[in-house]
Amino acid sequence: MLIRYFAAAAASTGIEAEHLQLPNGATMADLRTELARLHTVSSTDHAPALAQLLERCSFLRNGIAVKDTQLALDTDDVVDVLPPFAGG
Amino acid sequence: MSIEIVFAGLSPRALTVEMALAAVDSPECGAVVSFSGVVRNHDGGKDVARLSYTGHPSADAVMADVVPSAAKNALGTADPAASQAAPPVRIWAAHRLGPLEIGDPALVCAVAAAHRGEAFAVCSAVVDAIKAGVPIWKEQFFADGTMEWVGAESR
Repeated sequence: MLIRYFAAAAASTGIEAEHLQLPNGATMADLRTELARLHTVSSTDHAPALAQLLERCSFLRNGIAVKDTQLALDTDDVVDVLPPFAGG
Repeated sequence: MSIEIVFAGLSPRALTVEMALAAVDSPECGAVVSFSGVVRNHDGGKDVARLSYTGHPSADAVMADVVPSAAKNALGTADPAASQAAPPVRIWAAHRLGPLEIGDPALVCAVAAAHRGEAFAVCSAVVDAIKAGVPIWKEQFFADGTMEWVGAESR
């Protein structure tokens, strides 16, 4: 699946997107665990490591907000990682 | 009471309260409330030099969704005696994207209604909903050369 990073998440990982292979039936919670495992160090002084930032992020799966961490993911899903909003 | 969204979206160009006021102007409306969220020169005890806003690709669509939704909720709790025949509440709300300097408006909202109660309630609710619900991010550049993504740091 394709993981897309925005704002502080992109700054922290140093990338805007990456492809990940998760086992069939992997859930949103599994994906979060994998992202935290992969990104323990931030690539910038301006943002915390994704492992720390994740707990304050929200997620879109194929453009729809994910409410349920047990949601099963598909291999062709696009998941967006959204840091806390800061409009205004 | 009905709602008319004159504009709800993002803008890469400069915003002014005057453009919002002109857009909601109507001879049927006796109350016009506006809000301008401007870039201030300090945050958390540090001197701010400038800001930059970026939005998720869906931010425009989210704005178009949360603005009428917040307005409807606000009107639901406003003056229950308000007439069904009242003119629509007219709303203009925009959030700026891109680089901004101190004093630049970042979030501008104007609401025109028959009476002030609805105008105040809707303007406040719309601004709160945009700040809470629209996927926009703020990169803050400080005078000492450091920067931060607002909301991303542990507090």
